[in-house]
Amino acid sequence: MRPIAIINDFLANLRMWYRSKGTVFWAIAFPILLMLIFGAIYQGQSDVTVSLYVQDLDGSEISEEFISSLSEQLNIENIPADVDGDEYISENNIRAALIIPEDFGNTIYRVQQGSNENISLSLSLDPTRESVNGIIRGVVGGTLHGWNNEITGSRDVLTFQEKSLTAEEFKFIDYFMPGVIGLTVMTSTIYGTIFRNTKYRKWGILRKLSTTPFTRWEYLISKMLFMTFVSFVSTFLIILVGVLVWDISVTIDIYLFIIVISAAFAFSGMGMIISRFVKEEETADSAAGAITFPQMFLAGTFFPLEVMPSYLSSIARVLPLYYVNEGLRDSMIYQDSSGALFNTAVIFSIAAVLFVIGALVTKWTE
Amino acid sequence: MVASIIKVKDLTKNYDETKAVRGISFTVKKGEVFSMVGPNGAGKTTTVEICEGIRKPTSGIIRLFGKEFSKRSKEIRERIGVLPQEYRSFERLTVKETLKYYSSFYKRKRNIDEIISLLDLEDKKDDLYMNLSGGLKQRVGVGMALVNDPELVFLDEPTTGLDPRARRGVWNAIMSLKEEGKTIFLTTHYMEEAEYLADRVAIVHKGRIVGQGSLRELISDHGGHYNVVMHGYDTSRIDILGEEASVDSEQNVSLPVNDPEEISQILSKVMQNGVKFESIEVRRANLEEVFMNLTGTTIEEGDAA
Repeated sequence: MRPIAIINDFLANLRMWYRSKGTVFWAIAFPILLMLIFGAIYQGQSDVTVSLYVQDLDGSEISEEFISSLSEQLNIENIPADVDGDEYISENNIRAALIIPEDFGNTIYRVQQGSNENISLSLSLDPTRESVNGIIRGVVGGTLHGWNNEITGSRDVLTFQEKSLTAEEFKFIDYFMPGVIGLTVMTSTIYGTIFRNTKYRKWGILRKLSTTPFTRWEYLISKMLFMTFVSFVSTFLIILVGVLVWDISVTIDIYLFIIVISAAFAFSGMGMIISRFVKEEETADSAAGAITFPQMFLAGTFFPLEVMPSYLSSIARVLPLYYVNEGLRDSMIYQDSSGALFNTAVIFSIAAVLFVIGALVTKWTE
Repeated sequence: MVASIIKVKDLTKNYDETKAVRGISFTVKKGEVFSMVGPNGAGKTTTVEICEGIRKPTSGIIRLFGKEFSKRSKEIRERIGVLPQEYRSFERLTVKETLKYYSSFYKRKRNIDEIISLLDLEDKKDDLYMNLSGGLKQRVGVGMALVNDPELVFLDEPTTGLDPRARRGVWNAIMSLKEEGKTIFLTTHYMEEAEYLADRVAIVHKGRIVGQGSLRELISDHGGHYNVVMHGYDTSRIDILGEEASVDSEQNVSLPVNDPEEISQILSKVMQNGVKFESIEVRRANLEEVFMNLTGTTIEEGDAA
């Protein structure tokens, strides 16, 4: 065995490795990115502001004190006492609400005097936001536990009854599926566009095309038709698996079509802009990764923005994928047409701007 | 009088501070193979890409078929065929699919099977481009430039990086086009390629044409002499041949002569001194020597510069 040969081979590998931007991205930049993003999410969880709507039907000093205890850890929003709680929740698209029943304060007083009564609070949660629900359950349950200890020292006088906010029983996968669609459309179009433009430029295909009667706009339209087609194939395959395997109830409406088409245009535009600056094929992978990964984790694909520190959720609101994900959820799962309309309008506008810029910077010739 | 297909006058092209082309003028006549020869970076590709409409000139007049490209680009594109430098096609299309793809852009079309046959690609027509050898890929590239049956074909360094056998295959393909009477604008930095294929040659050096004409004209004006090459000559006895004799990389002894009559004098001198050799060859000066005489450097040295 010749150690010098092994060392030389090792050094040659090291040289080739660090010269390949793609492998360096996956081996170093990607895990660092993951650590930073997830670290920020979980480390900053104490700073997370989760909102809970509370309707105080009792209106006593004791109920106010109870709400005050909750507000130490949750952002409390008020539901007026004189409205129908369920209707108000539904009309205002509220996804977490607690109703404190009438006679809350008096009952506690009577229990302290020896009565054997119990009080049940109603906690309504949106089952598709399981990670946020966990925080709310923990805070409400912990607060009740503390109060129970103070009131009786042992017995659970105060409990909460949880109910689903939606008529149908949604699961986390219902939340997740639109995110997978958004993510797939984003990655396939951004990677596809950056790789294609970089390769075609390097291989002389764009130069060759520029010498034929085929025009740049014909090329762009054809590529967009293709990317849109691929996006729809992915979308319908994901829906098919969701429906057949996970029994997801999906609404397919016009918003789904507009959002998927807009997403394909927006992310292709983004890819065209990035590929303007990517000179080498080897760099294309890292460039595509750099643009897709932050969006993947920050735009509410895997978990709701509420679980993130506020500065990260503010970043999410400038990412196109956030509006794609939210729009698809509103349209396909929540059947919230006003939310779907808003998100569709936002992604449509983003798509128009990004695509026009992308098309203008995609040059065949000098 | 033969019509000019390309007419270029006082062409210049600057990239920021770099002057890539410094006032080039030439014409390409109908039905001829016109070759632009020079080292890498001489300005060949910039010139040909300006003629193809890929790049814009800094100044100068460029007319194709008597028309300015900028004003009649659509019409001109229908009449030209182009193989760009270092071209690679779509990896996962077959040869036939690739040719059909490009053919679909043109009003005028040449039969694809005819092109496949012309370029001797019948056995490979259903193979994916990615599975072809370098020489076959270049032949497909030439085929792509023929799908619209163009009047003018641009081939930008079609054999760069190919082994001699593959290069010969591409040459045969180009010869077939020549026999069909196509006008061909060929750039190359292989002198023998221009010698083999071209009717007229322009030698480009540092952004300028330093000589142009037919091969015969260039050699007679700038080549100057014959070369006597002796194979298997005892190189330790080179002194008897005089100072101009040299030994090449294959250990052959080479000696320039201006007059063929000097050859018999050299032979008698070698025999009188009892020096033996295996064979003798008399070579006419070639483009390599023309290039050297015009530029004071070899094309390889020009590449390195």
